[in-house]
Amino acid sequence: MELLLLSLFLLIAILLYRSTASFPEMVQGSTATYIRFLAVSLGFLCLLEVVLWLRKQERAEKKELNLAASPRRFWALLGLMFGYSMLLEPLGFYLASAFFLPVTMFILGTRKKPHLILTSAGVLLFVYLVFQKLLGVPLPESYLF
Amino acid sequence: MIFDALQSLIAPIPLFAVFLGTVSGVLVGGMPGLTATMAVALLIPVTFALEPLTGLILMGGVYCGAMYGGSIPAILLRTPGTPAAVATAIEGYPMSQQGHGGLALKVSVISSFVGGTFSVFVLLLVAPILAIFALTFGPPEYFLLAILGLVGIVSMADDESRLVKALISGLLGLIIAVIGTDPISGMLRYTMNMTDLYDGVAFMPALIGMFSISQMLELTGVKSIISDTSSLKKIKREPFPKGLKKFVGLGSLTGTVVGILPGEGATIAAFLSYNFARRLSKKPELYGKGNPEGIAAAEAGNNGCVGGSLIPTLTLGIPGNSVAAALLGGLLVHGLIPGPELFTKYGVMTYAFIMSLFLANIVFLLVGLFMAPYFARISLTPTGLLIPVVCLFSILGSYAMNNSVLDIFIALICGISAVILHRTGFSLGALILGLILGPIAETGFAQALIMGHGSYAIFFTRPQAIALWIVILLLLVPPVTQIIRQHLSQNREGAAG
Repeated sequence: MELLLLSLFLLIAILLYRSTASFPEMVQGSTATYIRFLAVSLGFLCLLEVVLWLRKQERAEKKELNLAASPRRFWALLGLMFGYSMLLEPLGFYLASAFFLPVTMFILGTRKKPHLILTSAGVLLFVYLVFQKLLGVPLPESYLF
Repeated sequence: MIFDALQSLIAPIPLFAVFLGTVSGVLVGGMPGLTATMAVALLIPVTFALEPLTGLILMGGVYCGAMYGGSIPAILLRTPGTPAAVATAIEGYPMSQQGHGGLALKVSVISSFVGGTFSVFVLLLVAPILAIFALTFGPPEYFLLAILGLVGIVSMADDESRLVKALISGLLGLIIAVIGTDPISGMLRYTMNMTDLYDGVAFMPALIGMFSISQMLELTGVKSIISDTSSLKKIKREPFPKGLKKFVGLGSLTGTVVGILPGEGATIAAFLSYNFARRLSKKPELYGKGNPEGIAAAEAGNNGCVGGSLIPTLTLGIPGNSVAAALLGGLLVHGLIPGPELFTKYGVMTYAFIMSLFLANIVFLLVGLFMAPYFARISLTPTGLLIPVVCLFSILGSYAMNNSVLDIFIALICGISAVILHRTGFSLGALILGLILGPIAETGFAQALIMGHGSYAIFFTRPQAIALWIVILLLLVPPVTQIIRQHLSQNREGAAG
């Protein structure tokens, strides 16, 4: 995974450097120079880190990358957050949150119905009173209803 | 005039405004995605119906309260309420995990109080003189100040591999900051035709993603924030640790000085203070593992920015940071023009406002000390309840900045990226620092080169620039020397074995 990331960053460095050629003449001596400096520095450091990584691999055992202690819950939470974000505009904030909160709590191990209901209701009420009424923060509104 | 100012302040309505403004500021600062700038700006129309002094006091109270309030979720949930609390999260959250959340909150509020009070004192005494000093800083100095902030990346690393990864992380932050509009030509760069990216990647959603969402994803594997709850029956009231005075003093001074410089913010002040503290500490190896010294310096630094930022705001009409800019708007709306007149013709109101900031610091100190053990109980909440609620507020906070759903997806992408980067040894602190300082560094660099007609000598000839280079070298030399020594001793051991 580390090698993959470093290769990706190296690619970004190369593409970034090449992109400055298309910048207008007036910025070639200022912001384009700055971006080229960033690209060269990133490229150099990535290559250096690859060398250090290879030396480490010679000395130590390979370790597997363990992204999460509980992979099922980890990916479920991530999926739910993406789903929730996509539902905000069709359903609006309150309806989407009314699905997201109890479902996520259930998947993460909360089983008592009073906890599920009261926590969800309490949070939504708090958002309504503080964010919407008191602070006037605009919340996502449904374009379907 | 001071006596008249005091008389106008000690009345029921202004005193109530101090209390209400400060408590509201603490609550706003404590909610990721809601910033002090937003709160102060939202208050401006509210102040139309109020006396000018009451309106100003309300805004000042919110400013002071929010600077402290950001540390509460930073410590308890690793979710900085404001960008200035990122350094606090680095030390405060590990303390919460060890069951010392109450102590971390106590250190935070006392340090914030000292930093805030010191800077208001400086504002009261030397405002006009320091404003002149601020005017001597130009683009080369702003670029070097950004470099100074970024040098902290080096001091976060203990060995050469972590140093290289920390530098890569910082560079990635700087590169992400390049997305948007070129500050010199106005040309759009890397926006992929998305209008939401014309102003660049908003750092607040990125910050929420990197610190809050990533942390919630990591917590899916545990039942509670505190690793061992069996020994912790109730949140203990722990005494204030000894030996923190010098770090609080250092943070207060750094925050005040950085706050005076227009455009610089509390985030830079907090990180600089944190780094200076790490350099001065007798046990720098404890940083990043829950060291109250880091919290003391960072919080004193970010609250020290409050008074400092008001110096150029009140004397020159040049806001010290975005919150001061919103406050300046409030002043102008009430017909109060920054400059000498503010301290002469409207002197009573101005001095009453400044003194109200002292009171605001006392209010959040009392609120924080009293409420700290109760706030700290949040860390005992089961993750099954905590994670969905924090994720909801994180998503809402990301949306609230610009009413943009794209910002939510930026936060989520930053969240998962942060988990991967963290597991592979890269530094999130360095990344967010690069993202925040990128625009300052790029604009300062580009403008300085234009001023110097393409010559880099401009970064080395001005006295203020030379002074900044000296400070940069003083911060850079010790960690680099240490790493070189480690590398050499490892090579010697390898050769001997």
